[in-house]
Amino acid sequence: MNMITTRRKMLRTMAAGIGTAAAAPIVPGFAKSTAQAGKPKRIIFFLQNQGFDPYTAIPKGLKEDAALDSFKFEEPIKDLEPIKDRLHIINGLHGQHTSPSHSAFFGALGGYRGGIGSPPRGATIDHVLSRNLPETILPHLCIGMDSLPNMRSRPTLATLSATGAGKPIFMHSNPQDLYQALFGSISTGEVRERYEARSNVLNSVEKIALQNSRGLPINEKERYSSYTDGFRDMNGLRSQLAGISDHLKKFAPVYGEKFTNPEFETDWHDSLLDLGISALKSGITNTLTIGSGRGEIFGAWKGLGVDKQGHNLGHMPQPNNEIWVKIRQYNCRMLVKMVKELESMPEGDGTMMDNTLIVYTSNNADKQHTSGANWPFILIGNPGGPLKTGRFTQMAKRPINDLYATLLHAVGAPVDRFNMEKSLAPTYHSKAGPIENLLA
Amino acid sequence: MKIRFCPFILTVLGSFLLPVTLLAAKPSFSSVVQPFFENYCLDCHDGETKKGNLSFEELTVVSTENFTTWKSIWEQVALKEMPPRKKKNQPGAIDRRHVSQWILGEMEQLMKDKGGFDAHRRPAKANHLDHDLLFGKLPKDLEPASTPARIWRIHPQEHLVRFNELINKEPAYNPKTPGLRTRGDHIPWNNQGEVKVYYGLDRIKGQVGGSAAYAAAITGFSAILDTTGDHGLRSYPALYSVNGAQASQIASRAEDIVRFMAYGPKIEPYQLTGKLPAKYKDVDIRGTIESLFYHEEVMRPLTPVYELVQEENPSEEKLRSAVNYLFESLTFREPSREESDTYLNILKKSVANLGLKDGVILGLTPIFLDRDALFRPELAEYGKPDKYGRVMLHGHELALAINSAFSYLKPDAELKGSLKEGRLKTRDDIKREVTRILSDESIRKPRLLQFFHEYFDYNLAGGVCKDAKALSKAGGGGKHPNVMFGMTASVDRLIELILQEDKQVLKELLTTDRFILDPGSDLLYFSTREKLRKPPPQKKGEKKKAPSPEELGQIVLPKGQPIKVRIPAVKFTNGKVARTLVSIPREERMGVLTHPSWLVSHSDAMDNHAILRGKWIRERLLGGGIPDIPITVDAQLPDEPTNTLRERMRVTRVQECWRCHRKMDPLGLPFEMYNHLGLRRTTEQGKPVDASGEIIDSGDPSLNGPVKNALEMIDKLAASERVEQVFVRHVFRFWMGRNETLEDAPALQAAHRAYKNNGGSMKALLTSLLTSDAFLYRKVAHNRAGK
Repeated sequence: MNMITTRRKMLRTMAAGIGTAAAAPIVPGFAKSTAQAGKPKRIIFFLQNQGFDPYTAIPKGLKEDAALDSFKFEEPIKDLEPIKDRLHIINGLHGQHTSPSHSAFFGALGGYRGGIGSPPRGATIDHVLSRNLPETILPHLCIGMDSLPNMRSRPTLATLSATGAGKPIFMHSNPQDLYQALFGSISTGEVRERYEARSNVLNSVEKIALQNSRGLPINEKERYSSYTDGFRDMNGLRSQLAGISDHLKKFAPVYGEKFTNPEFETDWHDSLLDLGISALKSGITNTLTIGSGRGEIFGAWKGLGVDKQGHNLGHMPQPNNEIWVKIRQYNCRMLVKMVKELESMPEGDGTMMDNTLIVYTSNNADKQHTSGANWPFILIGNPGGPLKTGRFTQMAKRPINDLYATLLHAVGAPVDRFNMEKSLAPTYHSKAGPIENLLA
Repeated sequence: MKIRFCPFILTVLGSFLLPVTLLAAKPSFSSVVQPFFENYCLDCHDGETKKGNLSFEELTVVSTENFTTWKSIWEQVALKEMPPRKKKNQPGAIDRRHVSQWILGEMEQLMKDKGGFDAHRRPAKANHLDHDLLFGKLPKDLEPASTPARIWRIHPQEHLVRFNELINKEPAYNPKTPGLRTRGDHIPWNNQGEVKVYYGLDRIKGQVGGSAAYAAAITGFSAILDTTGDHGLRSYPALYSVNGAQASQIASRAEDIVRFMAYGPKIEPYQLTGKLPAKYKDVDIRGTIESLFYHEEVMRPLTPVYELVQEENPSEEKLRSAVNYLFESLTFREPSREESDTYLNILKKSVANLGLKDGVILGLTPIFLDRDALFRPELAEYGKPDKYGRVMLHGHELALAINSAFSYLKPDAELKGSLKEGRLKTRDDIKREVTRILSDESIRKPRLLQFFHEYFDYNLAGGVCKDAKALSKAGGGGKHPNVMFGMTASVDRLIELILQEDKQVLKELLTTDRFILDPGSDLLYFSTREKLRKPPPQKKGEKKKAPSPEELGQIVLPKGQPIKVRIPAVKFTNGKVARTLVSIPREERMGVLTHPSWLVSHSDAMDNHAILRGKWIRERLLGGGIPDIPITVDAQLPDEPTNTLRERMRVTRVQECWRCHRKMDPLGLPFEMYNHLGLRRTTEQGKPVDASGEIIDSGDPSLNGPVKNALEMIDKLAASERVEQVFVRHVFRFWMGRNETLEDAPALQAAHRAYKNNGGSMKALLTSLLTSDAFLYRKVAHNRAGK
């Protein structure tokens, strides 16, 4: 009898320890030959919680579709001005069906109804895209930024990404743990000791688990092998990373005070971002999802001089709000850092950034207490050229699901609809296929 | 009838006279299937007639090319869909079974190295075994029943309870306050429908902010193990293993749990006094762990893991004590000396590498990943098999099987005592323990409630996403999902009451006039849609006051009795929130199937789901089955906002659909007397609502016939012996963890007799099943061969 998921599926859903699956032993940096030329090789999603008010991003005077080149960027996103030829600001999509007030949680990237405690109803777009990108050791890495106490007490949390219905992917929020998981094999001193100790323990567990399969009936042995295989894969992943430790050394972030002795939460936010960038540059993952505020209604940015934290931040109108200007600027600095870092890495005839798409939005549509009638996005990059860039597009009513279908089109995996039932499509103004206005 | 292949006629006649077991031993295409085709199928499905573009003349072997056709033949034959009912020449139940068995055997064989074929072993296909075969005259020479030796991955709730036991002290059962959250109950939902175990829940006394901030501030974790699907029985052991992602999460969670067991919550002094320090002045700390306040007193269980970190150099005895304690807490049995040594060595190495503080945390986590902490073995490894290859469960496997039939906690002292003193060996011993556990209310039995969740599916209402406009049109409001979570808790409690009375349990569940309500939120749902009124306008200057139910046109009920319910909440609730046990007029509602939580669980975003409701009645009460929808079918109702659901369902009446839909739609449409939120209604689209339906092909001729609405249908069904027997089949499946086979017929019949002869007693039914061969014996042939 074989009622459980296949080994392949299991590998794909191996979501926790490292944030996602351990796939076949692919040498990082060298994408599988099936990758199509001109198609994206990596995707980054950046979700700021508490909503993305369009008036903090849309240049003044812009109400209809237009090129961005003659418009000046507002204060909150002024750091994006130098790369505006590579941006596409999209306003007017909706996510009313995702229940986004206070956060749509998995619904933000899933395009379905979310809510506190609601398990994911299906795979989220970031993960579906990762499946269609050249295979890497870690198909999908998720990081989440929050207040220091919350990141310490809940170092992993799953609120945004999922590999399927009921299968959340955990975000990593403790950069010490994540460093150890990704770069433990190149470490020295105390980090190395912990890495070795954990490796020894997990190897012992694998041995005990194997011993306990002796004497099982044949069918049961097969079912139990999912469990033992899980350890083999976990330990295998560690050893795969250890096997390329020389390669990883070139990309590992500096494990300094920001990691070990953070003054503010932003020190850990920066460290997590560095780890995410390193994972992309080293080629061990193709998809990075960043949850600033971890998909919830709290979060803290004391390091930016923002004393207020948590829920009240969402109650403030964002335009012309000093606090929100700081948070949005911080986001933009992170976006620009990713762009620059990826530009510094040669790839093919160009750079890694040429093959990367960044999607910036919120898990709360436009504000904390929202109906989801407007859900702004910024796309950065245009690998392979299917999308318009340097543009502002004002959409009329179409759901975020249609944007996600467009992204799948952009990576060469076209679908008619993403997580939108045909029967519900007319109610939510969803149309089959990509959004034409966004395509070049 | 055309006559072909005369030589087979003899074979056909001969084969029908053979005893079941003999035939079942070696069925072949020529001995079983070909004669069946000849007699019953080729009239329409020969190469000439080829009805439905399907000829059986080329079908002689099961291959990957014709796999789907054979699967469909299996379902159609097993469910008596083919030959068409109008044909007079119908095969008997035994003939149908033989053909089904041959097809299933061939499909299993074919798919062995292609991912396997197991559809027939899934709960959804259990009714494919003819009810009359199980409850009719028993065939001769039946082998005695047994269940394959196996490991049973524990339920996600059981896993959570084991973890919760390590970090929280739940209140003990108090006979004066039944219904409140008690140690050993399942982990309840919080008010957002989230099932989580929280650290230090027993010690937190307050927080900055409201309930949303509290829920965000307190650290907790959800179930790591999974269950598949959401409708129907789903706790079969063969459905589950533990994958790498889960193992990895368990390892990570284990470190947190051990750290908490050893050191407790990290508490700043101000969190004990409740006075916020100056640094938090003008800072919003809601939703952070800094916003929680704690009792001075340490509340969590202080275990050998805590003792271990009280000294700088703990003795080996202390290390072993922590290992053994955790092992027993997580596997529900004492470790062998070898197991104890293995985990002790890992702990010692870890402490040597990382020092005591961190070494203890890492060094104890492997115990959380022991096979028996995640899978309950039923391997019957020792003992001589009888001539059928069966060994009776014994030792701790037997004790744990009995315990796990009811409880998520480890076996109590009496059960352990019986095991140690050799008083857990005979069927009488087992009956004694089962009877004792069933009669003791202080031993909480969450498995019973889990069965009723899976049998009725009334607990899904909070997860049904409602379209905002449809919700409002039906009379609902913004708190709808939360109300549904609360209602599920109320149905849980009603079921517990009925189980406690233990009289005509199924009939009572289907027809009771008793309902438990939260008067603050539930009255609306028990009202009649057409009678609801908008709240009266507020007069200027008048003090704001909530309108009364009368002003809103809601149902007016007698006061009822106060009753305690495990209200969905993060915090322990002390039962202050009022719930009321009331009687509702029988012409309005009766039993679980008319409760809004069941109705909403069987609805969709916009409307009722008559097909799902009809399927439920067909499968769970009548013991029938519906074949899988062919993949070519675009199963959508037209989107016609001005038409009733009944009108929109006309598309199911086309010939190719109606063969299956006739078995569901007329059983689901009687529930049209309620709207998709469960409110009664007298009209639909401006016309009097049509709630008529019909029971057909029930297997019990006295049940067949038209019904004017759901209440009449339920009344009829609740009086049926066949419906009782189908309920017994479902109870069997849940507690045996597998589909019944023909060999289980004696146990099923005995269980039904026990239920019936004891006035519809669930306790008698369970006692009968849990002392049956199917529960007690394991077939070990494979096991021994594998050693």
